[in-house]
Amino acid sequence: MKIVVCIKQVPVGDVKIDPKTNNLARSNVEGDINTYDRNAIEAALQLKEQAGGEVILLSMGPDSYMSSLRDGLAMGTDSAVLMSSRAFGGADTLATAYTLSEGIKKIGGVDLILFGRQSVDADTGQVGPIVAEDLNIPQITFAEGVELHDDNVLVGTRLLDNSVQEVKVTLPAVLTVRAEMNKPRYETPLNIQTSFEKPVTVWSEKDLDLDESRIGQAGSPTIVRKVYSPDKAAKQIEMLPQNAAAAVTKLLTELNN
Amino acid sequence: MTADKIAANKMLQRMIVDFTTTELAPLDMIIDKNQDYPEGLFQKVVDNGLLGMTLPREFGGAGFDFIAAAEALNHMAKGNASMAVTLEGHFKTVEQFLKYGTDELNQKYLPTATKRIFAFSQTEASGGSNPAGISTRAVKQGDNWVITGDKIMITNGGLAEVYCVLAKTEDDQMAVFVVDQDMPGFSFGKREDFIGLRGTPVGEIVMDHIVVPSYHLLGTVGEGHDIGNNAHDDARVLMGAVLTGILEHELQIAIDYTKQRKALDTPLYELQIIQEKLTDIAIAKQNTKLLYEDGARNKVAGEPYSEVAAMAKSYGSRAAVSAGDKALQILAGYGYSREYPIEHLIRDARAMEIAEGTVEKMNMEISLKEVNK
Ligand SMILES: Cc1cc2nc3c(=O)[nH]c(=O)nc-3n(C[C@H](O)[C@H](O)[C@H](O)COP(=O)(O)OP(=O)(O)OC[C@H]3O[C@@H](n4cnc5c(N)ncnc54)[C@H](O)[C@@H]3O)c2cc1C
Repeated sequence: MKIVVCIKQVPVGDVKIDPKTNNLARSNVEGDINTYDRNAIEAALQLKEQAGGEVILLSMGPDSYMSSLRDGLAMGTDSAVLMSSRAFGGADTLATAYTLSEGIKKIGGVDLILFGRQSVDADTGQVGPIVAEDLNIPQITFAEGVELHDDNVLVGTRLLDNSVQEVKVTLPAVLTVRAEMNKPRYETPLNIQTSFEKPVTVWSEKDLDLDESRIGQAGSPTIVRKVYSPDKAAKQIEMLPQNAAAAVTKLLTELNN
Repeated sequence: MTADKIAANKMLQRMIVDFTTTELAPLDMIIDKNQDYPEGLFQKVVDNGLLGMTLPREFGGAGFDFIAAAEALNHMAKGNASMAVTLEGHFKTVEQFLKYGTDELNQKYLPTATKRIFAFSQTEASGGSNPAGISTRAVKQGDNWVITGDKIMITNGGLAEVYCVLAKTEDDQMAVFVVDQDMPGFSFGKREDFIGLRGTPVGEIVMDHIVVPSYHLLGTVGEGHDIGNNAHDDARVLMGAVLTGILEHELQIAIDYTKQRKALDTPLYELQIIQEKLTDIAIAKQNTKLLYEDGARNKVAGEPYSEVAAMAKSYGSRAAVSAGDKALQILAGYGYSREYPIEHLIRDARAMEIAEGTVEKMNMEISLKEVNK
C-alpha cells in the first residue's frame, strides 16, 4: 500500500498576528509537526505494518519545514516530499489543497492519503476534504479508528459530537485522523539518525504542471478581514446552594428578576 | 559538528525529554516505593531503542556520541534517576567492549546490546575500593578459561544478561572476561536492599566454573586494572550527568514551592535566607553540569578525562546530597515527608558517593593527579 501523509509545521508557543496580513506571523518562530499529523503518521505506520508498502510524507511550505519532515521520518516513515517555492506562498486552504493534490498526482499510484483532523494553528480542518474533492476520491473525516478490509476497502470510524459513524470506502481515499485514534510512537535514536539518510525531494512549481492561477496568493480567495482574541468579558457564575429547597427558591427569585 | 549532527542531537534530547516526561517521571515515586520498575517499563526503554543509543551503527545501534548520551542521561535523571543509572551501567560497559574488545568478541556481543543489558562487575564481598584483593579466579584450560567467583553489588545485576567480570589469573594478573547469563555455572544471587536508586537493581552473580572461550577475554591478561579504571572514568562522567538531573529536579521542586508558599504575605523566594539556599542549589547544578560536559567532551576529543570525570562525580554527588538537604529545609515539614520526592532524591544522590569509586578514592586520585602535574 502506498500511503501519503500530509503534514504541516505549526509554530510552537505564543504566536503573534501579523498586522499587515492579518495572518499568523510564522517566520522566526520555532516549529513542530502539527500534533494531529503525528496521529496520522502513526496510523499510516500501523497500516504499513499490517499491509506492507511505503509511507511518504508530503508538505507544502518553506525550507524551515524540513525539520518537521525530519521528525516524521524519524518516526519511521520512508521518504518525504517538500513542495517549496515563493510561488506557493500566501496560499489559503483552497490553494494549499490544490497544490498538495497535484503533488499527490505526481507521486502517483497513491492508495491512501492521511491528514490530521485539523491544524492547531489555523484550525480549519479543510485541507484534507478539499484534497479529496480535487482528486475526486472518497473521504472519511474525524476518524478515531481505521481498519483495512481486503486490499482496497477501508472502514473508518468517525467520532462526531454526538455520534459515531462507520464509513466504508474503496481506495484510493482520504482519511483525516483524530488524536483518539492512537498514541504516536517516539522517534527512536536509530530512526533519528536514519532520518538524515532517507530521501527528501523538493519540488517547486516548475517541477509540476500546475494551473498558476490556483496556487499561492493568486489561488486564494480567502481574505482575512480581522483576527482578534475573543472577548474575555468576565461572566459571573453563581452557585446554587446545595440544599434542594433553598436552590429552587433561589433559582425562582433569580428568574423572576 | 555538522548541521545534521547538531539537528540529530537536538531531536534525541527532545525524544528523551518526551519519553521521560510521559513514561518515567509520573512513576518516579512509585519506582522508589516498590523498589522496582513497574511491569513493562524497562521493555519500553528497550523497544524505543534506548539501549543502543551509543552503540555504533555497524552493530545496529544509533551511534550517538558520549556527549549526547551524557546529556540524555541528564534529562532522564531529572524525571527518574534509577532508569538513568540503569542506562549508565549499560553504556559504560559497552564503551569497554568498543575500547578493548577484539573483533570476534564484539561481532558476537555488540549486536545484542540493543536488546540485552551489559554490566561491569569488580566488587566482591571483600571490598570494592581495592580490587587487588579480589578472589574471583580465571584458570586457563586449553583454549578456554574457567571462571569461578562471586561478584556483588553489580548495577543491573539480575536485569543484565552479559557481565564483564574482573578476575585474577593463576599468576595473579588482572583480567576481564565476558560471561553470559546463559552459560552453565552462572547464577544470580541476592539483590541489595539499597536505600536509594531503588529502581535500579543492584545484585550478585555467582560463577561456578564457568567455561568461556579464550576470545571472551576483554583486552589482555594484565590489563584488568586499566579496564576497570577506564570503566570507572566513563561511569563517572555519566553519573555526573545523572547528578545534574537530580540537582535540576531538586532545584525545580524548591523553586515551585517558594513561589507558592508564603511567610504571611511574602512568597518564600523573596526571603534572603531562602534565596541563598536556592542560589547554592543552582550553582551546584551548574558546576556539576560543566564538569560532566567537560569530561564527555574530552573523552570524545581523545583528551585525558579521568580527573575531571572523578571531579564530576565527587563534587556532584556531595553537592546533590547537600542541595537536597537545602531543598528539604525549604519545604520543611513537607520536605521531610515521603509524600514529596525530595527525601528520595537525597537517597538517590547518596549512592553516587559510593558507586563507581567512593568519594575518598576519587579524591585521592584527584589530589595525586594535581600533585604530579
Ligand atoms: C548503587 C551502587 C551500585 C554499584 N554498582 C557496582 C557495579 O556495577 N559494579 C561493581 O563492581 N561494583 C558496584 N558497586 C559497588 C561499589 O563499587 C563499592 O561499594 C565501592 O567501590 C566501595 O566498596 P565497598 O563498599 O566494598 O567499600 P570498601 O572498599 O570496603 O571501603 C570502605 C571505606 O573505606 C574507604 N577506603 C577503602 N579503601 C580505601 C583506600 N585504598 N583508600 C582510601 N579509602 C579507602 C572507602 O572510601 C570507604 O569509605 C555499586 C555500589 C552501589 C552503592
